Amino acid sequence: MNILLVLIPVTLLVIVVAVALFFWAVNHQQFDDLDSPAVLPLMDEPPPQDPADNTDPPPQNT
Amino acid sequence: MNTTAAWANPQLAAQVLRERRDGCSEIALHVDALHDARQVLWLEQRINALPGVKRVAIDRPAQRVRVVWQTRRTSLPMLLESFAAAGCSAHPLRHDEIEDARAAEMHDALKRMLVAGMCAMQVMTYAFVIYIGVVDFVDFSTRNLFRWLGLLTTIPLVFYSARSFFTGAARELRNRRLGINLPVALAVALVFAASVINTLRGSGEVYFDSVSMFVFLLLGARYLELRSRHRGGAQGDALIDATPLLAQRRRADGELETVAALDLAGGDQVHIPDGGTVPADGVLESASVQVDEALLSGESRPRQRRRGERLIAGSVLLTGPAELRVEHAGVDTGVARLGAIAARARQARASIVGSDRDVARFVGRVLLLTVLTALGWLLVDPSRAFDAAIAVLVVACPCAFALTVPVTLTRALGQLARHHVLVTDGNALLALARIDRALFDKTGTLAVPRLDIDATEPMRGESRQQVLTWAMALASESSHPLARALAAAARREVTPTRAQAVQVTMAAGIEGMVDGRTLRLGHARFALAAGPLAAGQIDARLADDALLLADDRGPLARFHFHEQPRADAGATLEQLRREGVGLCIASGDAADRVAALAARLDIDDWHARQLPADKLALLHALQADGHIVLAVGDGSNDAPLLAAADVSAALTSGTDLAQAQADLLLLDGRLDGLIQARTIALRLHEVVAQSRRWALLYNLIAVPFAAFGLVPPWLAAIGMSLSSLGVVLNALRVGRERACDPGRGHGGPTPAAQVSA
Repeated sequence: MNILLVLIPVTLLVIVVAVALFFWAVNHQQFDDLDSPAVLPLMDEPPPQDPADNTDPPPQNT
Repeated sequence: MNTTAAWANPQLAAQVLRERRDGCSEIALHVDALHDARQVLWLEQRINALPGVKRVAIDRPAQRVRVVWQTRRTSLPMLLESFAAAGCSAHPLRHDEIEDARAAEMHDALKRMLVAGMCAMQVMTYAFVIYIGVVDFVDFSTRNLFRWLGLLTTIPLVFYSARSFFTGAARELRNRRLGINLPVALAVALVFAASVINTLRGSGEVYFDSVSMFVFLLLGARYLELRSRHRGGAQGDALIDATPLLAQRRRADGELETVAALDLAGGDQVHIPDGGTVPADGVLESASVQVDEALLSGESRPRQRRRGERLIAGSVLLTGPAELRVEHAGVDTGVARLGAIAARARQARASIVGSDRDVARFVGRVLLLTVLTALGWLLVDPSRAFDAAIAVLVVACPCAFALTVPVTLTRALGQLARHHVLVTDGNALLALARIDRALFDKTGTLAVPRLDIDATEPMRGESRQQVLTWAMALASESSHPLARALAAAARREVTPTRAQAVQVTMAAGIEGMVDGRTLRLGHARFALAAGPLAAGQIDARLADDALLLADDRGPLARFHFHEQPRADAGATLEQLRREGVGLCIASGDAADRVAALAARLDIDDWHARQLPADKLALLHALQADGHIVLAVGDGSNDAPLLAAADVSAALTSGTDLAQAQADLLLLDGRLDGLIQARTIALRLHEVVAQSRRWALLYNLIAVPFAAFGLVPPWLAAIGMSLSSLGVVLNALRVGRERACDPGRGHGGPTPAAQVSA
């Protein structure tokens, strides 16, 4: 039963870490848009260029 | 608004930008075309790629984008141009929209729910050990250890996750009304306190598992409710943002141009038609006007304002027109109060929540029942009194019952916003389902007048151009549909001049000085009142439907209009008739014209030559017969009618005064919004009634079991949460049948089409 004295603090630690991670994710807008990320894998082309401005510069910091 | 370059003006930019401490600026934008998830991602990538952009957050249901970036690397006009280049033209919103209250509330709810979930899981494992320990091998000291662990992990749950219930209950008590937070807070507090005491004593039952599960499940249901409420709110916001408050600014050459009120700068001269909204704080430059400040101050009596006095943004002109010198549209003066209608639409949403008398009665009975259960068990078997009383309190908590109306109504408002109908009074939507009479205004509502320019008859030898110029100078000062039609048609023919000392008389005409002579434009009775002919002697030929221009020597010209029913008027009226709603036209126009239109639209019951007071009398007569009446209008002369009707709808092509009195606003001049609204209102009624029946049935079945001690508190928690969930899901049925909504249909070529091209 002494193993409990180790495992219980470990579970509490796991909870604290999990909650901290989750709070970080919520604060960084990870849960704000639950719809569009679903189509992210389908987008391998760069953003569409309007016919008018084909000379658009490529993205600089992505 | 259509030129992005104007936003380079620092005074304008100050209205929409917020400076952050880290040197970046923040802005909220409304974008028109966001119908596809891929489009959202592309837009986000493009904007993110601009130099200096720190963060882009796109809120698709609300059609809003928030950007944090460095203005010295990318200027505001450049940012707006990038949006336009991406095929999503954007216009800035006031800086008080930058704060995303919905996102903040959502984040908070998510965090509370997760903490509750984590704690509940943990407490459950401890409780399991305790249950096993009672039976078998875990000894008493271990059992106590687990009780203390349960207490420890329940603390964040009660004091963090469940705090919203406690603050809610405190608010309800302060307001002296019973709400749904009170039984919840009471149950949580009682169960937790009892468990803590038993833990300290080291004997008796502990309920940490029950209370944590209760809180977690309840937060889950609340989170879903919040999500559906936010979605409805976001759809409404998108519609409000798409119809900004407009102002008529006088250019240097005296011509009027239409701009967004947000674009006004200090020193601009603005023309406000009668029945219009004051677009910015400023000084009155006309002689005197009456204004209605009811939307701002609650003062319902009209106020007289004279030259040089200040007009407050958001008040509505009762008489008019007025010239206004904008004082400062600067950083945050009257701007925050702008768009009083938008504010009312938001208010309608806010007031939906928790204003229910039935709920208060329900909660009262639940509390009484709990006390009775406790007393009953104290007589029979005191050891089970606490369990049974708590079970009753939890199982009978009317959360599902209380959620029904707000959740369903919010869903309905969101759906209506997608059909371009804005609701300013949620209760009116409930009444809309019960109407059996509909009273329509004619000109501007059912029919759109157009000036028959070739039929213009000058009567004293002036050229047609000349009389058109004079008439237009007067007509452009008024918001009446005929005046608007005349001004619009004449603008294509002649160069405009300005009228001085203009006075508009409602339901009669316009008087003013043009080129040094006093002219009157309006019905024959009004136009000739100042002339040599007494009222009784007016030539019958002049007293017909046409608009007459006259000076103090007699008539100058006659203008003829022909009327076209609105494209969707026939179908809308037909649908209403099929649903058993009696139709009626009340118009200020001449009998033959009203009769002609009534015949075209197949309406038997019509009334012509109606003054505002006559229309009101007609309405009261209908109401006295026990009818529930819908009034539809657009002009200032309809305002009293709209205010008195059971349900009222105004077209946003009309005056702001009419809109200020209406419960429903039909955008884009579409009457068929009425049909959508009624369909959704009927559905709303059905779903609310059904959900309430469910909630009641559940309570009636569950409470006896709980009272006799057959339901453990954890089972009560599950039952209660499931019933709330059922109500939220049921609400989603409102507006679901209409799968093909116009919101997704248009918007140019889809990104997919652009890629394959």
